[in-house]
Amino acid sequence: MMSSVLMAFPWLSLLLAIPFLGTFALLLWPGEPSPGRLRGITIGLLAAQLVASLALLLVFDPALGGMQLEELHSWVPSIGLNYQLGVDGLSLPLVLINAALTLVAAVCTRDFSKRPRIYFSMLLLISGAVNGAFLAENLLLFFLFYELELIPLWLLISIWGGNQRAYAATKFLIFTAVSGMLILGAFLGLALFTGTVDFSLTAITSERLAMGSQIVLLSALLVGFGIKLPLVPFHTWLPDAHTQASTPVSVLLAGVLLKLGTYGILRFGMGLFPEAWAQLAPGLAIWAAITVVYGSLAAIAQRDMKRMVAYSSVGHMGYVLLAGAAATPVALLGAEFQMVSHGLISALLFLLVGTVYRKTGTRDLDVLRGLLNPERGLPFTGTLMILGVMASAGMPGMVGFIAEFLVFRGSLLAYPIATLVCMVGSGLTAVYFLLLVNRAFFGRLAITPASDNPVDDARLDIQLAPVAPRETLPALALALGVLALGLFPALLGHWSEATTTAMAQFPALLAPITDGGLG
Amino acid sequence: MPVISADLTRQGGMPPAAELERRLLAGQTLLAETPGHVLEVVGVLESYGEVLDAYSRNLIYQAEHQFLNPFPIFKFLDGDLNPAKIWRHLNHDRINFEYAEYCMKAMLWHGTGGLDAYLDSQAFADLCAKIIEAKRRKDLLLGLLDPLFRQFLPELIRTAATTHALGQFWRVMSDLFIDLAAAERDGRVASIAQVVDFLKDGLVAAAAKPITYAVTIGLESFPVLPPEAGLTFLVDVAVPYVEAVFLRGMPFLGTVSFNAQAQQISPDQAQFAYGALFADPLPTMGAGIPPSLLMQDMYRHLPKSLHDWYLQCSRGEGDVRVKICASFQKAMFCVTNAAIAGTLPHPIGSGDPQAQAANQAYARAWATRLASARTDCLSAAS
Repeated sequence: MMSSVLMAFPWLSLLLAIPFLGTFALLLWPGEPSPGRLRGITIGLLAAQLVASLALLLVFDPALGGMQLEELHSWVPSIGLNYQLGVDGLSLPLVLINAALTLVAAVCTRDFSKRPRIYFSMLLLISGAVNGAFLAENLLLFFLFYELELIPLWLLISIWGGNQRAYAATKFLIFTAVSGMLILGAFLGLALFTGTVDFSLTAITSERLAMGSQIVLLSALLVGFGIKLPLVPFHTWLPDAHTQASTPVSVLLAGVLLKLGTYGILRFGMGLFPEAWAQLAPGLAIWAAITVVYGSLAAIAQRDMKRMVAYSSVGHMGYVLLAGAAATPVALLGAEFQMVSHGLISALLFLLVGTVYRKTGTRDLDVLRGLLNPERGLPFTGTLMILGVMASAGMPGMVGFIAEFLVFRGSLLAYPIATLVCMVGSGLTAVYFLLLVNRAFFGRLAITPASDNPVDDARLDIQLAPVAPRETLPALALALGVLALGLFPALLGHWSEATTTAMAQFPALLAPITDGGLG
Repeated sequence: MPVISADLTRQGGMPPAAELERRLLAGQTLLAETPGHVLEVVGVLESYGEVLDAYSRNLIYQAEHQFLNPFPIFKFLDGDLNPAKIWRHLNHDRINFEYAEYCMKAMLWHGTGGLDAYLDSQAFADLCAKIIEAKRRKDLLLGLLDPLFRQFLPELIRTAATTHALGQFWRVMSDLFIDLAAAERDGRVASIAQVVDFLKDGLVAAAAKPITYAVTIGLESFPVLPPEAGLTFLVDVAVPYVEAVFLRGMPFLGTVSFNAQAQQISPDQAQFAYGALFADPLPTMGAGIPPSLLMQDMYRHLPKSLHDWYLQCSRGEGDVRVKICASFQKAMFCVTNAAIAGTLPHPIGSGDPQAQAANQAYARAWATRLASARTDCLSAAS
């Protein structure tokens, strides 16, 4: 009885209602509430959203590979737009990551004196839109949510960003708008070629098109989502956006919004066009390898800590494309792990870089030295940074290792060369992050450029303000998540394995090499 | 180049050697005259005096009761083998006597002044031979070691002699620093100039104090540093101590380690500048290197007024050892200032041109050496 009541409850709508109603509530809140109160309300709403997201685990059946908890309400049937939601093992972890990281972004917002009402309502709006995109079972509904997160993010960068925020925000807007146009074009083209007006994901996946049409439409989707991912050469908006965005926005951008790209490629690219996908897969593997190596080499060349982490995102998102190209059960499970892993680790790294910037006024690796100093540096921040870069480099015991191992294990036999190149990229991650840690955190504490006379450097009296424990709580929580999923990967694999296995069962995707799941 | 907020860094002013020379010849203090400096110097010297008292007692205990003991396991316990004390020792709830040993080894290694000359003399070698002969009869292990390694036991005796001499030196300095704190509380000392004068007077008063040392083997007493050697406090121990510990030090005294194989350390000991006046107060990576040990010890005896003052600046309790080290360097500049003033060849106000020239040469030599030390702490703003 209790179980049927729980199952009947519109959980997915609740996940949309909390942030969207919260957005309206903040915008329409009477009077002039203080920034602190607005922040408190936002944190409360996002905490409720996280609890509701976790409640999904009570009603979600991990043994099923398909969509669950589906909700369907007719909206604009004449154009095939319906309110159709569902969740499976691919989207469930991403919904949880979205809830967790939006909460982290709100908690780690330090300077909210400038237009706080708009700022916090935009955070809620993004969170709701991302939830909607992950849960939408209707292509047009997905597109609406996909576009809906664009404007708030543009505002968050252009209002609360750095000195070059207008340039970065406009660049982001143009790239993402093109991305949206391509995705919409592909969806409409799909309807046009198949002669249907039903944009339901379950209805349209069974449609069969000529291979040429499939490849054209899939290519549009790949470029569209490839911009969001981002894949080389469509990545150039990301480092600029990260560099100019505030820390909470970078957390959202890297941790959540990039996942719309990977999710879209797997859900719609692979799901809607399995035959064309199988045709293009070798090329996608090569594209993934190029993205991984280019992102890693570009990261090595950076001197700005934030740009370095941003380029590492480019590289690490390439692993997801590699896994998607291989499309084996293990590889797809690895892709899921990689999305979650990258969400946690990149959010952690951006939080820590933000702390360094707030305390020192710079992110320049030619300037920062010895921040791990226990007396006057940022020792706990440095400790978490070392943990974060170890996780990103795929050290065993942390979730980055599980993700990369599954991706490489699942892809190696299908695309050995591309996989080996990606493994080299994984090694390069250690190179650039060790450069980061070595330059910024080891040695004698200093924050001025090394002069010709090192004695002068040593005489600087560094007066960095200490990092209060409450400032490190969000990063500490993410670090614990990185460790927990690294030590107990079944915490995630349990919920996703059935779905990723089912995704690999399309006849067209059945590679000559088969391999098993986690267990 | 990014713009760094000015409140994040503070470039300490480095007075040139000429300015240091001018201050020395004008009878001015090297350290700027501020109430904060008086609080720091007197307070940190009081805590240093407490620590030196413990160091001194232990060094003298080691020299007298652990003499030629090849396995001095309990040398830091001053003969008290109470289990509670051993537990506190193992649990590191104790004074870091290792720093005292470190200073002793710096003196032994750099070897300057009358004490070192005597330790290399034939008279000392003859005394060593008698001591070793007597000791070999009592100790079979030493009887075996001595013929195998002829320089081993004499070197241990040199070490013991230096240990005892440093213990005697610190005995005087400990009392002097604690008396200084009492004088400040009584109102007799209220400025940096008076601090330097107080220290100079104390050093001058103890200048001729004889440094002697004898050990007892069986029932017989053997002199190691006999009165006939004529060793005295200021010239034969204090000046070598300043040279070894304040100025030269060892490559690991500071907080930056050096690579000797990469020629980062001069093989000429006279070129060393790793002493307390040159050390970086900011520990790199927080290793338990000697300056950190001394700061830990002084922290245990910090006067409340100084501790409260530290809590008001920078990171409060978080970087208190760095602040102690910075204050300690200011205090050591005052001691050096007093030693230079006390050993000037002629009175400062002398009208004799030859005396003036001699003073100028003496002051210039010191100023040149000190110019590359951490004199950024001398300014009023530091």
